[in-house]
Amino acid sequence: MQTFKIALTIIVALLLQMILPRYVSFFGYIDLALLVTVYSGLQRAPVLGMVTGVIAGLGGDAVQGGILGVGGFSKTLIGYLVGVASVRLSLENPLARLSVVAVASAANTVLFVGLHQMLEQPLPHVSTWADFGRTIAWKTLGDTVASIVLFVVLDRLFSEQATARRMAIKKRFYE
Amino acid sequence: MSANPAQQKAPWILAALLLAQVALMSSNARHPDSEQSILRVWLVTAFAPIVNVTGSVLSSIKGTAGGYLDVRHAREENIELREKVDQLTAERNDALERAAELNLLRRELALPSRPQYREISANVISRDSSLWFRRLIIDRGSGDGVKRDMPVATAGGVVGRVISLGPNFAMVQVITDKHAGVGAMLQNSRAMGEVRGVGDDDRCELKNIKTSENVEVGESVVTTGLDRIYPKGLLIGTVERIEPDPNAPWHRITVKPAAAVDRIEHVLVLLVEAKDLKFTDTK
Repeated sequence: MQTFKIALTIIVALLLQMILPRYVSFFGYIDLALLVTVYSGLQRAPVLGMVTGVIAGLGGDAVQGGILGVGGFSKTLIGYLVGVASVRLSLENPLARLSVVAVASAANTVLFVGLHQMLEQPLPHVSTWADFGRTIAWKTLGDTVASIVLFVVLDRLFSEQATARRMAIKKRFYE
Repeated sequence: MSANPAQQKAPWILAALLLAQVALMSSNARHPDSEQSILRVWLVTAFAPIVNVTGSVLSSIKGTAGGYLDVRHAREENIELREKVDQLTAERNDALERAAELNLLRRELALPSRPQYREISANVISRDSSLWFRRLIIDRGSGDGVKRDMPVATAGGVVGRVISLGPNFAMVQVITDKHAGVGAMLQNSRAMGEVRGVGDDDRCELKNIKTSENVEVGESVVTTGLDRIYPKGLLIGTVERIEPDPNAPWHRITVKPAAAVDRIEHVLVLLVEAKDLKFTDTK
């Protein structure tokens, strides 16, 4: 059931990513596939975060254009690292989750731009270090704000997993 | 405490997945047809009908809400539009007269007439879904006779070219995309160069125009037809700014696209292939 829910979440995220920027141009700064990956990683499951990262990343590459595999690579890595971090640290606190999203968003932008540079495929908005810094800041802001709403929705959708996760953390850190 | 086998093997799975994606992106970046991939075709083909229907519903809601506000300014706008219709009617009559004269001269000089291309209209169903690329997805695909590299335009001017397609969709690279290029020339001086997308905003750059060429702000930039994608004479845009390049003997010319590439809803796909353009040139 959880696999089905995650698959559905990725599909809806990719569809929204195709639809919404046409009406709200700032939506281009938000990466819903990344947010779903981070949420999966936060379920204290590195493998789940990694697999979600592969599927959401490759799906994002397919619908947004560009080189296939670049978004997949960065999201796979981020999904795994968030999963490992959530196993070792207590990231249940909403503030901690926002921090994780902010760091993941910045890392995703750096990886995405870096891989394109390595493949000699220049990207816009990064022609100077100042531009690059501004782009990272705006994308981090967009992703973090969007995650506040999205994670509330996903917490409801994955309420059973959220309860189990809270119990596991309680057992590990407080008993 | 024992972790499950999948968690224990996670670093190995991660390494395998990352390696596979490095191979995928390397082959994609090297291959000239990387925009057309099976994954992209399958996924967007499946998503296109849903995006199309949802977009129609959202557009009608937006249209209904905006309609009320528009009515308040309708009277003033109506007067302005009537004046504009009169002006455009006069300009159209003038253009028809000139076209008739031109055809007559072409016949007398035995010059080939300008070719007419078939075109199909399409709706934009998705636009700029990422910050990095200027792409449109339209609701026409190979099932409608669209092929890769076909030019896409509006009545105003060039929009871009088809870079990837499935049976019910086509992905269009807009001329403002960082990786887009169009063979272009200045309409008055006929100096040839290349229009490249900037990607940062909805502007392009006209490159390779020597500083010795006389360029004016507001001058039209049209296609040359030499890139074997866009037919000759399509309006790309107008010169917005001219600066000297301190490091090279070229102008740095900013071009404002004639088509409103950042907000178009409908486009025309010109059913032109490279072989059609070749035929025209050798005629």
